[in-house]
Amino acid sequence: MGTYLELHYLEELKRDFPTIEFAAEQAEPHIYVSEEELLPLMRRLRENPVFSFDRMGNITAVDYREYIEMVYMLYSRGFDKWVTVKCRLDREKPVAESMTQVWPGTEFEEREIYDLMGVEFLHHPDLRRILMPDNYTAHPLRKDFVPLQPKIEGGVLTWHRQKSSS
Amino acid sequence: MAQTEKFVLNMGPQHPSTHGVLQVQVELDGENIVGAKPVMGYLHRGIEKLMESRTYQQCVPFTDRLDYVSAMNNNLGFCMAVEKLAGIEVPERAWYIRTICCELNRIASHHVFIGSLTNDLGSATGMIYAFRDREKILDLFNIICGARMTCHYIRIGGVAADAQDEFFQKTEEFINYVPEMLDEYNRLFTGNEIFQRRMQGTSIISREDALRFGMSGPNIRASGLSYDIRKLDKYGIYGKLDFEVPIGENGDNWDRYLIRIREIEESARIIRQCLDNMPGGAFKGKVPKVLKPPKGDAYQRVENTRGELGFYIVSDGTAKPYRVHIRRPSFINLQALDHMCRGMVLADSVTAFATIDPLMGEVDC
Repeated sequence: MGTYLELHYLEELKRDFPTIEFAAEQAEPHIYVSEEELLPLMRRLRENPVFSFDRMGNITAVDYREYIEMVYMLYSRGFDKWVTVKCRLDREKPVAESMTQVWPGTEFEEREIYDLMGVEFLHHPDLRRILMPDNYTAHPLRKDFVPLQPKIEGGVLTWHRQKSSS
Repeated sequence: MAQTEKFVLNMGPQHPSTHGVLQVQVELDGENIVGAKPVMGYLHRGIEKLMESRTYQQCVPFTDRLDYVSAMNNNLGFCMAVEKLAGIEVPERAWYIRTICCELNRIASHHVFIGSLTNDLGSATGMIYAFRDREKILDLFNIICGARMTCHYIRIGGVAADAQDEFFQKTEEFINYVPEMLDEYNRLFTGNEIFQRRMQGTSIISREDALRFGMSGPNIRASGLSYDIRKLDKYGIYGKLDFEVPIGENGDNWDRYLIRIREIEESARIIRQCLDNMPGGAFKGKVPKVLKPPKGDAYQRVENTRGELGFYIVSDGTAKPYRVHIRRPSFINLQALDHMCRGMVLADSVTAFATIDPLMGEVDC
């Protein structure tokens, strides 16, 4: 089934990355890390042979209304181990380092998060919308999303915000 | 020296070989491909968003519409994620029926793969053979749940209804037919020289590249990596069953085709073991009418026909999920398309689309 990374490894990481937080009493404590230390931590988890998390099992973002949380679930094929890393971002202007620098296979998934959740990724090779039209301006998976109205202007499809009065 | 100029050709979204509404912007130098960019979103329905406004039980039919040729596997992934979140026990008989359905669906999905691949390689006859046999499986689904493609048969806590003797009997008839069917395919396709020449040594993905692109399913196994969630996680009853994971050597189109043929054999083996050891008992566990899982999140991955399918569900303690994220294997596998097409001629790009086996319902979600 794959087991979760043991507590003593997390404590070891805590020594090198002081902003890490985790609830040690939980069975599977998620690592919460600050934006600044996200990339170095991920590099350590990927490249250090003690961990060697060589697969990004799942990458997503959740809108909690006060903040946006990035969720990274890493899987190590060699040790059959999991670890969950979470990073809270400012909801008004969410910016995070791109994980394509560590796992190149996250390119499309980060484009999807950029498209649907509006998180901007630094150092991403090709950050464009992937599912919604290129000239769309809203981010559908946000909790306060209101669908934009399509309108054809001069033969071009454009998107407009609904009038608040209606 | 003749000068050549690069130009961009749009394959799709309306093109018979793009398996739905995939658009590929192919950059060509003469007939040689120098780049291929997939453009998707034409089938985007916002399933992740739609699920947020429905109860957990109402979400299950949406998963049918993701990968619509292997609906059972999608149902299973979502139901297992909810069961993990809410701590629901599933009876053993339900697990056996689920496994039979999932493996039947895997065979049906590989039929579509073989059919469309042969069609793309110029043999429309081949498609008819594969779809004729797929029809037999769809009829089995018709018996068990009344639907053929979008089954909605696997439910949270078990399955929708108990399987009848007629289903088991007809399934056994089908399993007995599988060797004969594969023999026919091997004579018709595998031994075909045109088929071999077009696929051997084209669009090679090395082991390192397959890992780099985060690929999964038959595509990563064709590159020589034994990566099958059924074997790794042993979810459900897969730990009790005896089956092998076929592995390729070169990672070319030919290996990706052969892997699927051999997976049909293994799936048939799994179904036979399930039929022989079918236990009695309940087909559905105890599930409350209004399902309110405790606060928290859960991630569950299963081996879909196209690879590692994962469901990440966040619950806020109400009857509706707060957030659902779906890790879609064919969406991630498509990242390799550019690498596969580079250096090939245009006619080979069609083979590359076919063997990567993307399904647009799943890619666009």
